[in-house]
Amino acid sequence: MISALAYLQLQTARNRLLVRIRRLRQPKYLFGGIVGVLYFYWYFFRPVLMSTHTGQGASFQIFGITPELMESVVAMVLFVVVAGSWVFPSQRAALTFTEAEIAFLFPAPVSRTGLIHFKLLRSQLAIFFTTLLLTLFSRRFGGQAWIHAAGWWMMLSTLNLHFLAGSFAQTKLMDRGLTTWKRRFCILGLVGVLGVSVAAWVWVGLPSFAWPAKVVTPVAVEKAAEGPGSAEGVQHVQAVRDYILLATRSGPLAVVLYPFRVIARPFLASDRASFLAGFGPALLLMLLHYAWVVRSNVAFEEASVEASRKVAEKVAAIRSGNWQAAQKEMKRRRDPFPLGPVGAKPVALLWKNLLSLGQGFSPGLWIGFSVMLLLVGLSVGPSLGRSGWGAAVGMVFGILFSWSILLGPHLLRQDLRQDLQMMDLLKTYPMRGWQVVLGSMLAPAVILTAVQWLLLWVGGSLLLFAGVKGVPVPAILGVGLGASILVPVTNFLLLLIPNTAVLLLPGWFHTKEAVQGIEATGQRLILMLGQLLALVVALVPASLMFSLIFFLLKFATGALWSAIPVASVAAAVVLVGEVSLGVAFLGRVFDKFDLSDELKG
Amino acid sequence: MIEVEGLTKLYGEFTAVKDLSLVVRPGEVMGLVGPNGAGKTTTLRSLAGIIPSTRGSVRICGNDLASQPIAAKQRLAFFTDEPRLFDYLTVWQHLVFTARIYGVAGFEAVAEGLLVELELAGKRDALPSELSRGMKQKLVIACGLLHAPEVIFFDEPLTGLDPLGIRRMKDSILKRAGNGAAIIISSHLLHLVEEICTHILILKGGCKVADGTMAEIRQRFSGTEGSPDLEEIFFRATSEAGTASTPVNPPSQ
Repeated sequence: MISALAYLQLQTARNRLLVRIRRLRQPKYLFGGIVGVLYFYWYFFRPVLMSTHTGQGASFQIFGITPELMESVVAMVLFVVVAGSWVFPSQRAALTFTEAEIAFLFPAPVSRTGLIHFKLLRSQLAIFFTTLLLTLFSRRFGGQAWIHAAGWWMMLSTLNLHFLAGSFAQTKLMDRGLTTWKRRFCILGLVGVLGVSVAAWVWVGLPSFAWPAKVVTPVAVEKAAEGPGSAEGVQHVQAVRDYILLATRSGPLAVVLYPFRVIARPFLASDRASFLAGFGPALLLMLLHYAWVVRSNVAFEEASVEASRKVAEKVAAIRSGNWQAAQKEMKRRRDPFPLGPVGAKPVALLWKNLLSLGQGFSPGLWIGFSVMLLLVGLSVGPSLGRSGWGAAVGMVFGILFSWSILLGPHLLRQDLRQDLQMMDLLKTYPMRGWQVVLGSMLAPAVILTAVQWLLLWVGGSLLLFAGVKGVPVPAILGVGLGASILVPVTNFLLLLIPNTAVLLLPGWFHTKEAVQGIEATGQRLILMLGQLLALVVALVPASLMFSLIFFLLKFATGALWSAIPVASVAAAVVLVGEVSLGVAFLGRVFDKFDLSDELKG
Repeated sequence: MIEVEGLTKLYGEFTAVKDLSLVVRPGEVMGLVGPNGAGKTTTLRSLAGIIPSTRGSVRICGNDLASQPIAAKQRLAFFTDEPRLFDYLTVWQHLVFTARIYGVAGFEAVAEGLLVELELAGKRDALPSELSRGMKQKLVIACGLLHAPEVIFFDEPLTGLDPLGIRRMKDSILKRAGNGAAIIISSHLLHLVEEICTHILILKGGCKVADGTMAEIRQRFSGTEGSPDLEEIFFRATSEAGTASTPVNPPSQ
């Protein structure tokens, strides 16, 4: 039976590879593949090939962390991950299969253990691939590649087995009446007991921590944070490291973290001898987990069918570009505004897409965003302290504003990118092509503009109130006003580029099967570079107009606060012209758009 | 009224539909039948303005689909075999959105009536994910009928419906035809087509093999055994011999 399941896996992998190779006959995949290979070579393989490391020596020395401390850190991370796997799950054990696998394997005379083996076999393929990527990444920090690869494989495989066995054990506990919340309470209680024990051990069993400096003052602590350039700082950091090492290698943590150290040791081995010394115990631990998994007799079939259905729906939604539908749970939202039956038709698309956006913009997200802003402001504040907290937080708002310009149009995809799958429905609507294009882009443009105006006005007000050394108030005022004028039309321009790509190259956004792998990475890179180039070209006329008006006004009046906004209005007019032309062009493309023709082959 | 003249759709070298002409008058229901790959769906998608035709003309209630697409689309509705809904809009929000797209003033009363007629009144605030397949199909129908279309295209309308749903769908189609709508139905369910269609058009390989009223089609393919049913006619018309021996009729006039 195992041989049949292995055959299925091997043939699936082989055919998938063949499909990819055959696909390279199409130029869009060939170019994507070439760019993808170059990218992976440049970013991952080249550093390994060009590395000056001799292949000896401990990994991660680049951080100045001792191997012993690194082992403790990795062990603690693994502990947290494993503890999380016992706290967070709330469902019964479910092995996720594809719908085809369920249709073929579940009614077939395959034992439950056989299904588990099939699942483990399949997960090994994913683990091998992940191992390769992680090795290419972690090898950049030193150590021998084969040790990294074997270490990653050992860690990922053991974790995979533990998650599986853990889910089986949790299901058994559920069947015996231990609810999810009771289990969480018990696990968190145990973690709490461990925390108290560690604190007691540190308090009683370990010597008191002492700073190496004669006098412990905030100044000394500040110097310690100044980095390796400061001898005093190095001493302080070293003292903290030593104490953490002592606490994790003695008392209760030494016992609790031991199995996690065992898993981590092969990965962190500095040479062949230490790898072999760590490999045996780690392998034993993995085999124990394997025995735990195959000896668990838990009915997972029913939950698996449901989990697999959900995964299939998510995959279908993601393949169609509808990430919202792939989210955990779709919630009904209130209308963003009352939509009457008569009026401009693009507004209907704005209304629809705002409802779609609402799925991703929950109150929790806004609260999290605000807390993050506050934390970033507070943490950055001291380093920018010369101009006070207001200026520091204002600058953080400015940085976030810049990020929103660059990343916003890529993150908010509630336009034609989302509706590509629904294009045939959109085409039945009695609307001109330009109306569909404009309406589709309205929602992300409106949301982005609102967020950016908020960042600009709050940040600008803080800067005006606090003042920034060397920057005159009229300049702040002028830049703020100018940016406020340019932001809406710039957003439309930035959104126009990916939407143009969707209509001109729909096959790169939507195919009958998911395009994955190197060629997909290459396609995304080509698109990104193309978008960047188009943006630069589109901004040239507006920039020229801005410069012309700005220097004329500056020369004539000398008033910075008025020269920037007026020049921005002139630049915005140019951009509006460009956007209008772009929308009209895209509208014509939409009218002639034939998805079935574009996606053929 | 649907008037099609010389409709041709090419995909590169491949001819999906070739020189198709037909007329469907108000109150008529035309059944579009043919084997897989005959070009039925491509024909319907071309008639609904979803894909542009390569050659030929399509007029919906006198409006040319190529030069007056808005006026033409305002008068038609297209129902696919797979219900296409927005995951994040509730049942009622779908109707609000559709009303704005088609500019249906005072749509509330019509929408309420459709929800009751299609037994969706209790699902007003449900998302598509909370609806069964049949209910999703009903919601698509409610949205499509909201603007009282004069021309309706159905592509496999009974897929996934239970017997009661099939009965209701048939009644609904006949009711719309009775109210003066011109309807084209593409389906593999020949007994359905035979039951509710006034006219038949048989496609094969993108070409019209035969068309006419049920009586005309029966007479043409009757042979020596008397009056054959549509299934027998279908096999005779689409078999190689049948195709070779059967002259293509001019469009219904």
